[in-house]
Amino acid sequence: MIKSFLGYLHSGVTPGEAGNLIWISIYVLLVFAGVSLGVMFMNWFERKIMAHMQVRMGPMRVGPHGLLQPIADALKLIIKEDLMPSNADKLVFWFAPVCVVMTAFCAFIVVPFGRTHAITDMNIGVVFMLGVSSLGVLGVIMAGWASNSHYSLMGSLRSGAQMVSYEVAMSMAVVSAVMMTSMATGTGTLSMIGIVQAQMQQHIWFVFSFFPVGLIALAVFAIAMVAETNRAPFDLPEAESELVAGFMTEYSGFRWSLFFLAEYTSMMAVSSIATTLWLGGWLRPFPNLLGGRNWDLAFSLVPGLTFAILALLCFLTFTRMPRIRAMRGDTAGLGGLACLLGILAVVLLLPGVRERVQDIFWFTSKVAFFMYFYVWGRTTFPRYRFDQLMTIGWKVLLPISIAVVILTALIGVRQDLFALVRR
Amino acid sequence: MSFVTVLKKIFLIDLLEGLFVTFRHQHPDNLVTEQYPQERPVISDRFRGQPRLKKDANGKTLCTACGACALACPEKLIKVSSLRDPETKKKVLTEFDYDLGRCMFCGLCQEACSSNALELSPAYELALYSREGLELDRQQMEDGTPRKVYER
Amino acid sequence: MSDNQFYESLDETKPGRTFLDSNELVLNMGPQHPSTHGVLRVILKLDGEKVNGIECVIGYLHRGIEKIAENRTWAGFGPFVDRLDYTAAVSNSLGYCLAVEKLLGVEVPKRAQYLRVILTELCRLASHQVWLGTHVLDIGAVTPLFYAFRDRETILGVFEKYCGARLTTHAFRIGGCRWDAYPGFAEEVLKVCDDLLPMIDEYRHLITGNRIWLQRTKNVGYISPEDCMSYSITGPVLRGSGIAWDLRKAQPYSSYEDFEFDIPTGTAGDTFDRYVVRVEEMRQSIRIIRQAVEGLPEGPIIARVPKVIKPPAGEVYVSTEAPKGELGYFMVSDGGPQPYRVRVRPPSFINLQALEKMAKGSLVADVVAIIGTLDIVLGEVDR
Repeated sequence: MIKSFLGYLHSGVTPGEAGNLIWISIYVLLVFAGVSLGVMFMNWFERKIMAHMQVRMGPMRVGPHGLLQPIADALKLIIKEDLMPSNADKLVFWFAPVCVVMTAFCAFIVVPFGRTHAITDMNIGVVFMLGVSSLGVLGVIMAGWASNSHYSLMGSLRSGAQMVSYEVAMSMAVVSAVMMTSMATGTGTLSMIGIVQAQMQQHIWFVFSFFPVGLIALAVFAIAMVAETNRAPFDLPEAESELVAGFMTEYSGFRWSLFFLAEYTSMMAVSSIATTLWLGGWLRPFPNLLGGRNWDLAFSLVPGLTFAILALLCFLTFTRMPRIRAMRGDTAGLGGLACLLGILAVVLLLPGVRERVQDIFWFTSKVAFFMYFYVWGRTTFPRYRFDQLMTIGWKVLLPISIAVVILTALIGVRQDLFALVRR
Repeated sequence: MSFVTVLKKIFLIDLLEGLFVTFRHQHPDNLVTEQYPQERPVISDRFRGQPRLKKDANGKTLCTACGACALACPEKLIKVSSLRDPETKKKVLTEFDYDLGRCMFCGLCQEACSSNALELSPAYELALYSREGLELDRQQMEDGTPRKVYER
Repeated sequence: MSDNQFYESLDETKPGRTFLDSNELVLNMGPQHPSTHGVLRVILKLDGEKVNGIECVIGYLHRGIEKIAENRTWAGFGPFVDRLDYTAAVSNSLGYCLAVEKLLGVEVPKRAQYLRVILTELCRLASHQVWLGTHVLDIGAVTPLFYAFRDRETILGVFEKYCGARLTTHAFRIGGCRWDAYPGFAEEVLKVCDDLLPMIDEYRHLITGNRIWLQRTKNVGYISPEDCMSYSITGPVLRGSGIAWDLRKAQPYSSYEDFEFDIPTGTAGDTFDRYVVRVEEMRQSIRIIRQAVEGLPEGPIIARVPKVIKPPAGEVYVSTEAPKGELGYFMVSDGGPQPYRVRVRPPSFINLQALEKMAKGSLVADVVAIIGTLDIVLGEVDR
């Protein structure tokens, strides 16, 4: 057993492909922990970035610069009273948040953080992710139904309708990206790892290929994914100042936090799709243009250096903390964080580690880029009314995405013909 | 619609402009939050805050117990008690009760005061945990409340 | 529709009516709500998403201010007037003082009039900042609220330095002003104006040109000029529908005739036009302030007024152009030291009548936008 445990490390495939149950479990736990950590970080990140854009400072009290705020929020939600309306459908009420969370996390089975850093690689990866996200709509509708309140029902139906409408445009954009995978080898692939490998083989990120069709496809997908996850400017179903407070009205405490967790997780899931399909997944920038051993070395130092800079920032803030007794805990925590980040930076600079881990870093930073856009958009834009929202989904995005598919197909066939003639 | 307008609509220029406005405001110089209570705001002299009875350089109260402030107050929350001093035939202040709970800090009392004794000082941290401490007597009016120092 | 008819139509126990009979949903936008500006209860009759009828229930903030007036002296009632429209306390004070001065027959010195104009126009800016922030917040944009309140802080700082309070200012006295301009007043006011003007231009990038904003506010909450006149609506709502009526130009008071400014008018009578009118009004206010600060004359700041104010018996109605509309004071004096009757004509209360007219036939999401565009403050509506 130990041999199979260690033997996996030399294979160049994901544990799912290798069929190694122990490693699958380890990877599942790692992904679960990582995504949960990401959600907690997103909570802090969103509040801080929104605050800075609104010329204020955001959470500053709980931990230095509010870094422990997500923990405080999580604790509060856990100890809050869990209400259930008396006339609610108990089983469905209990199951709705579970369904939403399960589907959101299931989508992460195929998300590739690197060539071997995924739980598994299905040959229908993209379709699996989109399908599992669609199951989340079911959870939303269940939540509205089970709340036994016609405002919640209205809100959940609106939310469900919105999610379904924008999935069509999303899928069309995905189709166009998948079509681009077949340019080099002649056969396309739906597997997430295969799509990134196709980008590697074609020496181009799909966002730049068939310019500007790839860019338009990414733009369509980006807008659709914001609507899919019920975020601003498409967040009418869950807006606070609207009358119908949405399907989450009757949920409180831990159940609500599950919805919240599911929302951020699905945000990260669709951002992962966007990253894999258009932004080259785990590939570092310019792997061919700036290729060769020296460039490889330089780029592999970037993760370590990023953490080193973060550690330095933490340390500088640590030195500037007021030296008073009441802030001892904060200061110590900040110093500890600086040390932790420093150790992480050093570990990431070690030659053995940095080659294996840099894929994860590039993938995560691209997903973080999308997360920043989510927060940026929420801060800036007013909300669309529901009928305007549906108009955009069906009358604007869908025709554009169909046009993108057709254009991709035409350009692809033309390039194929040219390649055939030249040969 | 002109060609430029159509282009602007297609390329979402108006949305991008909005995005840049919010992006620009992230600069640390733009943040306006004051971390109270470590950073306390600067209060002007004319601020109508906690009422105080002033004393002169020798520690004698400036109040002549004329009762003008009690008459001027719209809420009738000032009670001035005095004795007639047999030698000087002038009124001497004995008690001064001020009900801070009903005060609306309008400043009519400090305007009415003829001897410049009553003033609404710029102290604004008047919160208490119960209502009992809100009825100020003469001693509290003369001493004021000490300012608390907060560490965090 | 009388109260009875409306409530009866909601009664599901009436014979023959079941909940499934009609498609009408009765939605209660209750007194506590993140978007209604104060404690306003709105009962909506909905057909799916469309609004069929609206009934406003007010009175949650009624404090009996007009009754209190009968038991206070004329000068002692001054602080209470600030609590009516609490976002624009200075303009309330101006209206009250003008009314009592008219009863007394007192002429306010020129310097006091100019000081009053400066402070009132600053207060108009502050009130419009509150309106802007809360209105766009209702529509969904969360950031302009903070920018607006940050700009409002500078104005409130001026108020604090001038009269000692930020919100309930009690700035003016009967006969003029209590305080003269503090040292540095002119520079600070001009700096506020200079800092505010580029912010107003920034709103263009963030809000006015934004396609989402245009879609949410164009053709929403339409009211025709004839309806405005018949409901006696005043203020930016009236001007947004095309009628150029501003009391500062039509019946000038307190030296407004000395200043040059325009009256912004809209054409379409929808939410977007009212928004543009108010933003333009901010620019015009800055213009007035600059002229007033530059032309500030020397002289006394308060007229000779008796210590105990006892106006001769009579009645007077004086109205001013408050940020929300025409704010009027009808005062009856019986010759004594206390008013016999003070009746306030609140612009928000009168403008609120238009809610049903504007919102009927629109969608639920627009009702919130329409309440925001009417710019109501419940302190005024309920008094």
